[in-house]
Amino acid sequence: MLELKNIKLSYGNTQVLNGVDLSVNRGDVVSIIGPSGTGKTTLLKCINYLVKPSSGTIAFDQLHMDYAQADKKAIQAIRLRTAMVFQQFNVFKNMTVLQNVMDPLVVVQRKSQDEAREIALRELDRVGLSAKRDSYPSQLSGGQLQRTGIARALAVRPDVMLFDEPTSSLDPELVSEVLKVIKDVTSSGITSLLVTHEMQFAKNISNRIVFMDQGVVAADGSPAEIFDAPANPRLAQFLQTELAFH
Amino acid sequence: MFEADILLEDIREILSAVPFTLFMALVTFVFSTIIGSLFALAEYRNIPILRELIFVYKVAFKGIPLVIVIFLGYYGLPPTIQFLASLIGINFNGHHTPNWVLLVIGVTACIAAFQAEVIKGALNSFDNGQADAARSLGYTNGQLFRRVMFPQVVIAAIPDLTNSIMVIMKALSLGFAIEVVDIFAQSQLTAALNFYYLEAFVIAVVIYMIIAFLVTTAADRLERSLRVWT
Ligand SMILES: Nc1ncnc2c1ncn2[C@@H]1O[C@H](COP(=O)(O)OP(=O)(O)O)[C@@H](O)[C@H]1O
Ligand SMILES: [Mg+2]
Repeated sequence: MLELKNIKLSYGNTQVLNGVDLSVNRGDVVSIIGPSGTGKTTLLKCINYLVKPSSGTIAFDQLHMDYAQADKKAIQAIRLRTAMVFQQFNVFKNMTVLQNVMDPLVVVQRKSQDEAREIALRELDRVGLSAKRDSYPSQLSGGQLQRTGIARALAVRPDVMLFDEPTSSLDPELVSEVLKVIKDVTSSGITSLLVTHEMQFAKNISNRIVFMDQGVVAADGSPAEIFDAPANPRLAQFLQTELAFH
Repeated sequence: MFEADILLEDIREILSAVPFTLFMALVTFVFSTIIGSLFALAEYRNIPILRELIFVYKVAFKGIPLVIVIFLGYYGLPPTIQFLASLIGINFNGHHTPNWVLLVIGVTACIAAFQAEVIKGALNSFDNGQADAARSLGYTNGQLFRRVMFPQVVIAAIPDLTNSIMVIMKALSLGFAIEVVDIFAQSQLTAALNFYYLEAFVIAVVIYMIIAFLVTTAADRLERSLRVWT
């Protein structure tokens, strides 16, 4: 349903993405792993055009777009069908938890306050934040902030969820509450792309693992292929250092 | 040394200049903030040419002593206004422009350069991850600005913006040079009649301090009542 072809992007003189190809089928849960600075975040941001690739194409079901001739309508259409969860949460600081989840529904989707509220409350219940709905972000823990971010993303009913290292800026004791929510989301059947350093978690919830290295997809396969029999030497080395960490 | 009845009379006279001074300060504040905000937004959005023009403007008006700007306005604006009016077919004698208007224009021009920096700082303190989040959810730039950025930026800017009310109050006292009577000029005039210079200036100082206190307290309260989220 989602196909990226030959995505290239550089920041100034540094080439970050060197021609990434990635295709995702409906219902896939794809985890993207790889060393820091290799362009994983940048790749996710290409999908909803938060950064502008210099070349490449994206296909989203019937919709095709060449990044060299990006058009606003296609970008907006893709943004409305994807939702992103950020490493730094990026919840709106001037809004309560409930308002964070409602606002996109009211402002972008033009739903009524009542309808938006109903949807938002349901999603907050799903991520276990009903009790915190009237709190402001400054009053929440990292885990609660991230669950707000997840509820906000789910509420817009996206076709694809994009998770960018959702637990990497959390204190260790808060990681599991967020992973639990993500697992609940991915097992509900929604197509998901997850950038993560939680190897065991990736192995458990994904049907595919993509290893990114130096701005390209260096390996792509089932969890068993990637974790149990890594063919790529750099992948093997990466896994070794990651496992040594945990 | 202090004689009660003279003092009371002085206080009454100097106080009479307060409403007009505050009025000029308010007008200056409003216009300099609007202009400064437009400058800051143009810089924040990195609009070519405008960006360079604003840079030059800021260097000029931050660098030139305010009193010179006021004199330039005093001598230069009336003929300019007359000329501009004649271009659109209006016959207006520029020299009928009230001096206080010329003063307000001069001070506004200078303070706008500083307000631009205040707003720019507040814009830069905005955490851009929220902008990414909003865009990824389909917010237009306008929606992002109204719903997320503006509420946060305004509140971040309140302390420094209101600071400039006091800077404006003080700057207006230079209006003395072009015969605009504010609190300071009135204390000067009052003292010139009875030679109680020290008394008149002490009264002016107390009035300025009271205004500073009220403005600062009001700004604090405003900020606290708006900043519900910290
Ligand atoms: N806005 C930016 N400007 C310049 N360089 C950037 C920017 N964002 C990321 N980079 C650089 O691009 C590279 C890839 O970054 P990123 O996509 O965040 O990697 P990853 O998510 O895999 O750790 C890194 O070297 C990073 O320093
Ligand atoms: Mg990253």
